[in-house]
Amino acid sequence: MAELSVIGISHQTAQVEVREGLALASDEAARVLAGIRAENVFDEALLLSTCNRTEVYFVPRTEADPLAYFLDHVARVKGVRPAAGADIFYRRDDADAVRHLFRVAASLGSQIVGEHEILGQVKDAYRLAVEARTTSALLNKLTHWAFRVGKRVRTETDLGAGSASVAAAAVDLARHIFSSLEGKTVLLVGAGQTAEAAARVLLGSGADRLIVANRTLHRAQQLAYDLAHETIDRAAADRAAAEAVGLDAIPETIAKADLVITSTASEEPVLTWRDLAEVLRTRRGAVLIVDIAVPRDVDARLGSLDNVYLYNIDDLDRLVRRNLERRRQDIPKAEAIVEYEVGRFGRWLASRQAAPTIRLLQQHLATIQKKHIDRYGKQFSQADRTQLEQFTQAMCKQILHTPLAMLKELSADAAPSERLAAVDLVRRLFDLDALEEDQAS
Amino acid sequence: MADLLAIGNWLLPLLYLVLLVDYGATFFLRMRTDARSPYLVVVVAAHLAFLVLRGVHIGYPPVTNAWEITSVLALATAGVYAWVELANRDRRTGVFVLLLAFLFQYTSSMLLAGRVAEPSEVSPGAVGMWARLHVVPALVAYTALAFAGVYGLLYLLEHRGLRRHRFGVLFDRLPPLDVLGPMAWHALLTGFVTMTVAIAVAPLLLGNGGGEMTAKVISKIIAGSVAWVVYAVAILGRWLGKWPASRISTIAVAGFIVVMALLTVSGLLS
Repeated sequence: MAELSVIGISHQTAQVEVREGLALASDEAARVLAGIRAENVFDEALLLSTCNRTEVYFVPRTEADPLAYFLDHVARVKGVRPAAGADIFYRRDDADAVRHLFRVAASLGSQIVGEHEILGQVKDAYRLAVEARTTSALLNKLTHWAFRVGKRVRTETDLGAGSASVAAAAVDLARHIFSSLEGKTVLLVGAGQTAEAAARVLLGSGADRLIVANRTLHRAQQLAYDLAHETIDRAAADRAAAEAVGLDAIPETIAKADLVITSTASEEPVLTWRDLAEVLRTRRGAVLIVDIAVPRDVDARLGSLDNVYLYNIDDLDRLVRRNLERRRQDIPKAEAIVEYEVGRFGRWLASRQAAPTIRLLQQHLATIQKKHIDRYGKQFSQADRTQLEQFTQAMCKQILHTPLAMLKELSADAAPSERLAAVDLVRRLFDLDALEEDQAS
Repeated sequence: MADLLAIGNWLLPLLYLVLLVDYGATFFLRMRTDARSPYLVVVVAAHLAFLVLRGVHIGYPPVTNAWEITSVLALATAGVYAWVELANRDRRTGVFVLLLAFLFQYTSSMLLAGRVAEPSEVSPGAVGMWARLHVVPALVAYTALAFAGVYGLLYLLEHRGLRRHRFGVLFDRLPPLDVLGPMAWHALLTGFVTMTVAIAVAPLLLGNGGGEMTAKVISKIIAGSVAWVVYAVAILGRWLGKWPASRISTIAVAGFIVVMALLTVSGLLS
């Protein structure tokens, strides 16, 4: 029987209709975990459910079919049995399960490789499992190790670098001009879907004031209200954080804006040189204008003003494609980090077996015995010294007898988590990890 | 002691070169971008020890000619940067500042080679109170203006890159414009104020036996006055004319070039 396994589905194995049936909200996941804890089929369990994957990491206690068992619990919580055949589920055991979680945390298994949300989702899943008390020594160690792997890949590779969507590219550009988006004002001209998404991301990234300019004032008011209530603090939104104006008010409002996103269906430029050149030239501070409309909404000559940074949809598209290519190029580097960490975790796990720990413990006591005999033995005659050696040897054996018997018993009978916890405690009590490192070096 | 100083004089540019490679790796390969660098502190400490030893050996503070001052500038640049890095935990702009420190020290070491342990002929006025009142603010001014030049240049590079829609290495690695712009501006202000003090004290230094009206001194007065006017125009332009950060950065770079020319000309005439 494997010590650690994962079963699940992801965007690589199942269509969205199937994934929907197995997707679990936080409260549902908590209920599934509570059900698992009440029974003795899994010794430990961690449930990760995102829009792209639903999977359970577990330390099995019995030989029961884990997939059927898991689907039963999901069915109990959801009220219906998910319409998913066994063939779409993957199962990985031991080192492969470790590798799977590390790849997920590093965003190597994501639909958009390098996306940033997954590590937070793994952390949320772990928090739920800790609250449900379904994790113990093995999954605790594994999950924290996975966090570190995710962070290492993020900092040591370009896998998460840059934006991967037009909306995120607008934020990316803004962050090259402004160190923080807090206190910044976003002017959204028109109500195109991409512009709306970009405004949403900008507001979600800290910008705290929104002005929507639209041909129809009513639509502008509605959109300003919706976006502000969705992304800005509700109280601020009610005060004056969101404002709606007609297109004719742009010359007055653009002076207040730090970020402008335009996306109207107009055939002619909406932001013209004649109306805005003077306003933009005399305003204090830089303004980022992102023109997502086709045909373009912004007179290209405005981009020649010193404090105006003007980008159109092609520029953003070029930035996104470049970022995705950079991410793709760094996949081998990220995979190498994952592989290295899988090896390290494997070595850690092997060191938590009873046999090497027993050997280390015996060596540790023998070293202490030798050190003290060498130190004090000179005060005795050769015959007394021999007796002293025999006496201390017998004493060490006696001291070790109970812990060694316990470790051997755990090795034979106990669940992996129980054994790991006990071995870990013994190693910490006697500082055996340091001894092992000394021996290795 | 003479041998130790000679070794130190050769070793310092090498230490700065290794630092430069380390920070180059941070900038271009994104290695350890938020790590503090104990090696930087070691180099700064080694440089300080070298200057103290040299001062003890030659019997006066080693700030009496342009090449000695260039070495102190290297130390001041690296030291101020070390402090900024310790405070901000951001190594991304280190390669640019330390390039300057390396160039300063390389120039100083090359020109001091062979006579690093020999004292120069120094008039009593050149190491007196007025000299200190002139040299200390001048050194602070040089360092601050070097920072203003470097951060001004980085601002201009990023500003142009963004305007021309170039998404290259600089786009990925440099801090945002509203970090670089204020850094250049504050460094320029600090440099201007201390430069003003140094220039104001200069006539008092000359009047109290601190030197004669040689070609070197005249070249320093002309170049210093030109640089001072350039910076004054930038500050007035910013305060009264609301000049944009790009123009201030251009002036910070131009002013720094003038200051460097001042040092070079004065060094060549010494």
